[in-house]
Amino acid sequence: MTTSDLTTAQRSPEQSARSASAPGDARGSGSSGTRRSSLRGGLAPYAFIAPFYVLYVLFMIIPILAALYLSLTEWVGLGTPSFIGLRNYLNLASDSSFATALGNSLVYTLVAVLVVVPCALLVAQALNTRGLRFRDMFRVAFFVPMVLSPIVIALIYSLIFDRDYGLLNSSLNALFGLPHINWLGDPTLAKGAIGFVLLWRTVGYLTIFFLAALQNVPSEQYEAAALDGAGRIRTFFAVTVPGIKPISAFVIVTSFIGAAQLFDEPYLLTRGGPGESTISIAMFIYRAAFERQQFGYAAAAGVVLFVIVFAVSQGLNRLLGIGRDS
Amino acid sequence: MHHGTSRRRFARRLPPPSSPVPRPPRLRRRDLLRGGAGVALGLPAAGALSACGSTTGAPIESGEVPLDLWTHDDGYIDYFTEAIPVAEQDSEFAYDMSITKIGASDLVTKLIAQAVAGTGTPDVAGLEIGAFSRMLRGDIAAELLVDLSEDIEPFSDDLISARLTPFSKDGAVCALDSDTPVTVLYHRADEFERLGIDPEFGTWENLAEIGRKLAETEQLALGAFAVNDPGGTVQCFHLHLLQRGGDLFDADGEPTLMTPEAEETLAFLVDGVQSGFLATVADMYGPAVQSGLKSGKILAVNMPSWYSSFGIQPNVPEQEGLWRVAALPVFEGGGHRAGVGGGTGFGALRDKPATEAARNLVVSGYLAPAQQVKRYKDLGYLPTLRSVYDDPELLSLENDYFGGQRLFEIFRDIVDDVPDVHQSADTTIMNIVLSGHVLRAFRGDVSPAQALADATDDFRGQAKG
Repeated sequence: MTTSDLTTAQRSPEQSARSASAPGDARGSGSSGTRRSSLRGGLAPYAFIAPFYVLYVLFMIIPILAALYLSLTEWVGLGTPSFIGLRNYLNLASDSSFATALGNSLVYTLVAVLVVVPCALLVAQALNTRGLRFRDMFRVAFFVPMVLSPIVIALIYSLIFDRDYGLLNSSLNALFGLPHINWLGDPTLAKGAIGFVLLWRTVGYLTIFFLAALQNVPSEQYEAAALDGAGRIRTFFAVTVPGIKPISAFVIVTSFIGAAQLFDEPYLLTRGGPGESTISIAMFIYRAAFERQQFGYAAAAGVVLFVIVFAVSQGLNRLLGIGRDS
Repeated sequence: MHHGTSRRRFARRLPPPSSPVPRPPRLRRRDLLRGGAGVALGLPAAGALSACGSTTGAPIESGEVPLDLWTHDDGYIDYFTEAIPVAEQDSEFAYDMSITKIGASDLVTKLIAQAVAGTGTPDVAGLEIGAFSRMLRGDIAAELLVDLSEDIEPFSDDLISARLTPFSKDGAVCALDSDTPVTVLYHRADEFERLGIDPEFGTWENLAEIGRKLAETEQLALGAFAVNDPGGTVQCFHLHLLQRGGDLFDADGEPTLMTPEAEETLAFLVDGVQSGFLATVADMYGPAVQSGLKSGKILAVNMPSWYSSFGIQPNVPEQEGLWRVAALPVFEGGGHRAGVGGGTGFGALRDKPATEAARNLVVSGYLAPAQQVKRYKDLGYLPTLRSVYDDPELLSLENDYFGGQRLFEIFRDIVDDVPDVHQSADTTIMNIVLSGHVLRAFRGDVSPAQALADATDDFRGQAKG
């Protein structure tokens, strides 16, 4: 078979390109045609990816720059913002409310990373047990809280945690004779209640990631570990944990980012109270902008939150080796 | 959260209008491109937003006028719908009104957002007093709302000045209050009689002494205090503070917590909560207070006049005939015969085609004595004109729920001693900060004086932003 026997469809791209640009080709018109063709070919990829970057610039880069600018101004939402330099940042540094919000957000991120992620891994490990019946049903049950509206969750939990008429206090009182505890009215307990709701809402979602990762760990490695006489705990740390490291790293970083921006649970359950004992940074920003008309101040807090989340995420990325080959 | 909006439309069939009615704005390609360019420019857009108050069409001076009204309260939907004929009588307008219901806080948020967008603002807005405080920041109120000072001029001697203060800024009256929400003591007459409590209460200190003993012996409370809702916590404190002669802010919007009145009031409340004379509830409207009222554990509450319609009757309809309203006991240290709490002001938006019509609707709907009588009969909101308190029809009204009591006689008796309330752009900061420190004082973590000092410090720290 000769080259001429090849149909157009069978030709390689290189051959097609050569034949298209061959001298004397009826379609070609000298060097200008070649330039146009290569220009078209050169711009096409950019045209295809342009919509994403146009939207990215419009809805990401420009708002970030606008927020940066706003953070240097005083603006009530109407009229022209007045430039005040770094005063918003200096005020933030001395604002006890912002310090409280930072501390609370730190607590929420610690709960997310140190409690929720391990719990999700444990649940995934349980669901991955060989021979488990109704695995899909359990998986759906754990995932359902994630698809429920936060409003519904807050309503349910505010009824459960109610001091006088809540299910939890009624149960504790009936079973153990305990006095009514103010779960949402005590500063420490309220943070615990929010942490619990965070756990309940997100553990199922993270479990799905871990379950997928666990199912991809080669069974030969478990068999080899068993032959070497490794026990369950040794196998878990020597085989399972390294096997799911990329997914674990992803889950840890996304959990951190999500918890650092936590808004729904404290806003809906306690409104940041009692006092300000459960306020998060995201709620602080919302409150400054939409309840106090301090848009410049809110933007400054947003910039601080962005810097913290970005820096810690980068640190975690490096620490956990995300995106790097093992 | 309660962010749902509902929309009702009230159209009237009319002959062709005598003046051209502007068409609703249509999105043209040029507008779209201009909008896109505005978004792309981003930073300069902030400056461009200052043009929010610009007129969007020729002013309508007569004839059919489409008018948007926003409110958070169903009661006002019916009230303003029925007020249209009155407003049309006093003018040459024929109203085609659309009413949108939005949560009280969301209303202000959306109002400002629409003003920034330069379109979609209402013509009349009902501003709940707490949410209105946000409009005191910067020039928001002055930029958006018509100054009604001239309109109230003919009524200046008759209008209860205490109800103009909360909705005024720099001498401009931005909205007209719907109510003079004086505080009274709602109490269970049957239980008071059984327990031998004299309905002439005398002083708060006297009632507190009785309450302390009742809490010890029968686990009954003679009052309630909201502890899980920052706004509610501060409102409960504020009601008592106003009656005692204090306030949260002075006329300049500066905090006034470090006063003997404030310290004495908080000490009284701390003692009340710790002794059980006052029951703590999550808020004054939800299941906790309802259960307390239903079970007969809470026998009295100090709340504004509107609480009859929003708290007592909806929560315990089966206790009809058992409750009574009385003027509050007084503080031994002095003060007023009543406090005040709440209120909603209606204002007209500036520089809109329907601004004059909106202004006419608000003024005729709110300042006509007959409308004030109607508002009390329909909604239970007390008049803001002093002369209306002598209206024979209102004075003779008997309330079946309160055992046939003539409530208006009580309100007339105390309305002349209603304290002024001063607002601040930082009211929301005060609510959050003060509620936390009040609760610390209730728990016994700090003394009342220290709680108020800490609240003042925190307030000043946060108000800087």
